Amino acid sequence: MPQTLRVIYSAFRMAMLHWIADPQWVIPNIIAPFVFTTVALTLFKETTGPFGLYAVLGGGMMGMWGNTLYSSGFAIEFEKWQGTLEEVMAAPSKLLHVITGRAVSNALFGLTNMVAVLVIAALGFKISLGIADPLLFAVSLVLTLLSVSALGLIFASAFVLSRSAQTLTNGLEIPLYLISGSMFPIALLPFWVHPAAYVLGPTWGIDAIRLATSQEYISQTFWAGVDPKIAIAFDLAVMFLITSVYAAIATVLFKMVEKRARTTGTLVEA
Amino acid sequence: MIEPSAQRESTSDKAIVAEHLCKVFDVTRGTLRRTKTQVVAVKDVSFEVDYRELFGLVGPNGAGKTTTIKMLTTMLIPTSGKATVLGYDIQKNVTKVRERIGIVLGGERGLYTRVSAIDNMRYFADLYGVPVNIREKRIKELLEFMGLWDRARDRVETYSKGMKQRLHLARGLINDPELIFMDEPTIGLDPEIAKETRNMIKELVEKGKTILLTTHYMFEADELCRRVAIIRNGEIAALDTPSGLKYVMDTSVVEVEGFGITEKEVARFKEIPDVFSVSADLAENKQVLKIQTPKGSEIISEVQEILKNSRIYDIKIKEPTLEDAYLRLVTG
Repeated sequence: MPQTLRVIYSAFRMAMLHWIADPQWVIPNIIAPFVFTTVALTLFKETTGPFGLYAVLGGGMMGMWGNTLYSSGFAIEFEKWQGTLEEVMAAPSKLLHVITGRAVSNALFGLTNMVAVLVIAALGFKISLGIADPLLFAVSLVLTLLSVSALGLIFASAFVLSRSAQTLTNGLEIPLYLISGSMFPIALLPFWVHPAAYVLGPTWGIDAIRLATSQEYISQTFWAGVDPKIAIAFDLAVMFLITSVYAAIATVLFKMVEKRARTTGTLVEA
Repeated sequence: MIEPSAQRESTSDKAIVAEHLCKVFDVTRGTLRRTKTQVVAVKDVSFEVDYRELFGLVGPNGAGKTTTIKMLTTMLIPTSGKATVLGYDIQKNVTKVRERIGIVLGGERGLYTRVSAIDNMRYFADLYGVPVNIREKRIKELLEFMGLWDRARDRVETYSKGMKQRLHLARGLINDPELIFMDEPTIGLDPEIAKETRNMIKELVEKGKTILLTTHYMFEADELCRRVAIIRNGEIAALDTPSGLKYVMDTSVVEVEGFGITEKEVARFKEIPDVFSVSADLAENKQVLKIQTPKGSEIISEVQEILKNSRIYDIKIKEPTLEDAYLRLVTG
């Protein structure tokens, strides 16, 4: 395994061990989206259309977003609080790779909420979520997870570089749920919100997931009458491009973080 | 990951060469009216460390020991000056330096306490690129060497302070470093565990490692280090072997054991010409005065005169310890 992947995997594993060892982190990421989704299912249980799909995927995306904002965003701070940041930064591996492992783990853990919501939807509300194309669904889900993780890297470095970034993000959680199309189609949102929605990689990923899940969803979109596979491929390609931009921004920001840490000594007390 | 054939910047036969290292931090003061000032953490530090040497860096809090170590370990960029570590420039060859050194920081922090010692070790083995085929063997060897193997699968939060410190040491050795930086490795440990840790440090030097150690305990520096640099206000105030530092003192210590010695009397000693320092401590049911002076026994009559109203149990003339030399050099 190349060294970079080994570091990412090792950081991923360490984050997973902490999730298991410290279950209190799970509660805000599971309970809040779970309640949110249950309320949505209860309110709209008589509604027709792919409503269950929105509720279940929305709940899952909420878990991913919540974890990305709070767990990945504070990933560097977590190392600082733990007192391990000096040791991690003194190692020959890049901090970016260590935090990437953590960010992927956080996003993946956020997905556990989707499973919980799916179970509730199936058992409590008798909503069946037959997945039309399981393979494309899985591919779309994994790539969306990576895109969310890349955003987590930007948050992680921005939080360290600027305290106002933290303040800003505290107010970003709910708007991100809305504009990413997690809970309902972006078409329902005012036109001026659309640019903000479409520069978010996960917006395209969520669309791809929906296309892979429901055959009736495509008829409500721009892609009506087109082979869903083409629509999914397009969504994933756009998400890949946006995610590449995120990764490039994160790389630059992490270089800035490391440079600042080594120049000012403020990241780890000298 | 460690390439034996990697090109070194210099062919120096020294493990560390620090030349005029300086580190200045910008500090912002005030909330509404912000002003920037500069704090000089390290003014001008130069020294060399031989391979297989145990070198000590001692000094009061804020003298610049930790900042010096952080510059040498590439965790801080020097404001000016340069240094090579194991032949590699600390600014140009950051990764090469990091691959070849170990860092052991004192205290209880710096470990993932919610997971086991093995998980901590595996994680850092991966971060240091320890080959997978030898990783588990090395972890076992190190944890056995530190006496932690029996508890290796327990969460670190259940460990005692001493066990955590030994885990720090094991972690610092995970990449089999040629050179180990130890920042106050025995701080906060009880005497027995501190002694155990010192024995392990000695064993590492016997095994061929080079160690740069900072400590507040002069007896520790005296016991362990081949050479000691005393750092004061960001500069090296003295650098020699422990016995050389004591010899340079050219003083002896007059130790007076007594009772009823007043502060006024202590102050009178300080007025005597050629008395460099006077310290007064309580030991069990007596007071112990330590007077540093080159006069040695010549001062005894003056001692008796000043303390004529107090009880004197004993007066001894002692050779200075490293602590005496340190106090003399640090207090100026």
